[in-house]
Amino acid sequence: MDSAAVSTEHLTRTFGQLVAVQDVNLRVASGQFFGFLGPNGAGKSTTIKMLTGLLAPTAGRIEILGLDLTANPVEVKRQIGVVPEGMGLFGRLTGAEYLNFVGRMYGLDRETSAKRTAELLDFMQLSSQPKTLVTDYSHGMQKKLALAAAVIHGPKILFLDEPFEGVDAIASGTLKAMLQRMISHGATIFLTSHVLEIVERLCSHVAIIHHGRLVAQGSLEELRAGVEAQAPESAASGEPAGAAVRTAEKLTLEEIFLRVVGGARHADQELSWLG
Amino acid sequence: MAGMSGPDSRARESAQFAAIARVRWQIFINSLRTIRGRLEAVSRVFVGLWFGIGGLGGAVALGFASAFFVGHGHVEWIAFLLWPVFLFWQLFPIIATAFTETFDSSNLLRFPLSYRSFFIVRLVYGSLDPATAIGSLWLLGLFIGITVADPPLFLVAALVLLIFGATNVLLARTIFAWLERWLAQRRTREIMGMIFFLIVIGVQFIGPLTARFRHSHVAPTQYGQALLPFERLLPPGLAAASIAQFLHGNFAYGIATFLLLGVYAASFFWFFHVRVLAQFRGENLSEAAAARPKSHAQKLPVRPGWNIPFVSGPTAAIFQKELTYLTRSGPMLFTLLMPVVILLIFRMTPARNGANSFMNGAPDFAFPIGAAYALLMLTNLIYNNFGADASGVQFWFVSPARLREVVRAKNLVHVTILAAEMVIIWIAVDLMFRTPSFDYTIATVAAVLFAAPINFAIGNLLSISSPKKIDFGTFGRQRAASTTAFSALLIQAGMFGIIALAFVIGVHLHNLWITTGALLVLASFAFVGYNAALRRIDTLALTRRESFISELSKA
Repeated sequence: MDSAAVSTEHLTRTFGQLVAVQDVNLRVASGQFFGFLGPNGAGKSTTIKMLTGLLAPTAGRIEILGLDLTANPVEVKRQIGVVPEGMGLFGRLTGAEYLNFVGRMYGLDRETSAKRTAELLDFMQLSSQPKTLVTDYSHGMQKKLALAAAVIHGPKILFLDEPFEGVDAIASGTLKAMLQRMISHGATIFLTSHVLEIVERLCSHVAIIHHGRLVAQGSLEELRAGVEAQAPESAASGEPAGAAVRTAEKLTLEEIFLRVVGGARHADQELSWLG
Repeated sequence: MAGMSGPDSRARESAQFAAIARVRWQIFINSLRTIRGRLEAVSRVFVGLWFGIGGLGGAVALGFASAFFVGHGHVEWIAFLLWPVFLFWQLFPIIATAFTETFDSSNLLRFPLSYRSFFIVRLVYGSLDPATAIGSLWLLGLFIGITVADPPLFLVAALVLLIFGATNVLLARTIFAWLERWLAQRRTREIMGMIFFLIVIGVQFIGPLTARFRHSHVAPTQYGQALLPFERLLPPGLAAASIAQFLHGNFAYGIATFLLLGVYAASFFWFFHVRVLAQFRGENLSEAAAARPKSHAQKLPVRPGWNIPFVSGPTAAIFQKELTYLTRSGPMLFTLLMPVVILLIFRMTPARNGANSFMNGAPDFAFPIGAAYALLMLTNLIYNNFGADASGVQFWFVSPARLREVVRAKNLVHVTILAAEMVIIWIAVDLMFRTPSFDYTIATVAAVLFAAPINFAIGNLLSISSPKKIDFGTFGRQRAASTTAFSALLIQAGMFGIIALAFVIGVHLHNLWITTGALLVLASFAFVGYNAALRRIDTLALTRRESFISELSKA
């Protein structure tokens, strides 16, 4: 493998009989804003957990910044930032104490850690309640704190599992601006989200996982072209006529996603009592 | 609306009650899918049988006792039978609540339930508990006993005991509803935990204080007589007085006491209604901090983390984090103070039959026993190192620290606490008994040097193999995993056996330096074992990380 920011080879994870992730070959180039999409239970969180060291793969290989994750876990972790699914916060610390702690765990000296903590709390508008424990933060505040903790050491890659879930529009704007700035400074961002509009607006590249398998990967234009190329075939195979007609216009990411995972045909279904 | 059960609100209410009962039944049936759920069901059957036997036995005993009192013309003495019923009915659910999960009925509020239905659900659902079943059974026994001894009392006893039972049900529900409200918020929950903990500590002093009463000149009956007028104004006293007054033909007094009992029932009903209505109207118990406008920001400078000599930055950060957690936990701090409390209890226990109590007679052992108790109290932390981290445990796996470094830092905190506790205990022994002798002090330190590494080694491994989420801020529901608790018990028994043997030999040979030497040799082996276990931590953590993280991240 060459030194892409993130790459996997035949990544597989099983839970007993269930194959959660099967033979996934991902490639994320440095500096990309990468969206990792999939329906519920498709294997997104399992994949991101394996990429960040929270879960062991059953088979396959993961390289982060050219380093084998299994062989060099500490080296890799030093260069990445993670907002895991459950945020992984320590509830009985204040926001400042938590950020200070995280900074020092990533090897920052005491003064630098304190300085960055103050800046991050200000930036995330969390500095107004210095004595409030993290456990008493609202969900949105916890999300912002988790993101602040993930960037305090200036990571080269940021892994975000549903970063905008439960975050209000103002906070969401702040986060997006920060992520865009990180990208402009050469960082790589790997995020999962159910909000396809956000992914479409932010991400330059996208991968779609379905039933544990990677079913699409590339830039938005590449994905669009791929779906459009398949459109005549699907029209011939009896898919709704509207789907073929839409290919004449520019498909949105949501439409691409629904085509790829086969969810479009369910949209016409109705509930008998709702009329 | 189409498909609704029609305009009849009664029919709709019945359908809702049936749906609630069915969903509870389905939850129970679904819980049987897991081995843990099945084991719990079996244990509930056994507990139910046990309660059933206790309930029936109590009912028979109360029946005979009440028949005896009525038959011998001491109807007022029924109060002595009603008080245990009353106390059990009220205290048992509180104690049980501290250690079991409760049903959050506020979930029902999203459905179109009328206040009447919601109130009935809250009242009836909570009343279907062992305390109500056993209490009712006991009252039935009392009723049978009274009517067998004096059949004309049938109607009066039935009415009075019925109202007494209703008073109990309503008071229990009221207490529970208010407890639920206080337990819903972290701060009030922590205060409740502290109060509960203080009660537990207070109970420890009952023994020594009772023993002191025995030696004082004031007879306990004098205290009893002083309390009697107040007792007659409380529900058990009123119920007994009402039955007695009717029997003596003093109807006006009998009706007055009966009405007063009814006033109690009505008051509890009202307090319960106030609580349920607040819940029904959608009270906000959220503690989530709302973002404040920047203009009102009360910013504090961010202070750099601790700098601990000879210790790396990450280790110092973990050390600071762990100590911050502990200092914010009232119950945990009290737990750590318990060894001193225990010494105080021993100190207050008076001499018996002219002989000195154990520690007053052999004060040399006060320091070793205090130190042993300190180590025992610490096992809560040592054997469940990551319990308080909860979902934060994920951080250890995404951070660039090896888990063995994290564990070592946590052990360092526990060693520091243990050392501080030993100093405090030494001072306490000096103040309460006498200055611990030099050879006993050194032998005790050697014993701790042997016991601590073994506890840390096994505790570290068990912390990863069978972790259990705990909340430092609350009291109750804090039991370690059963595997851990059982292993810890065996280890402590073996280790304290060895230490006791070393002390017995030293005392027998009048040379405690032999004890110290033997324990130091054992300590060196224990230290080697600790290092070996520490080296295994990363491998074990990586192998078990999924179950480890998911167990601690449970909601």
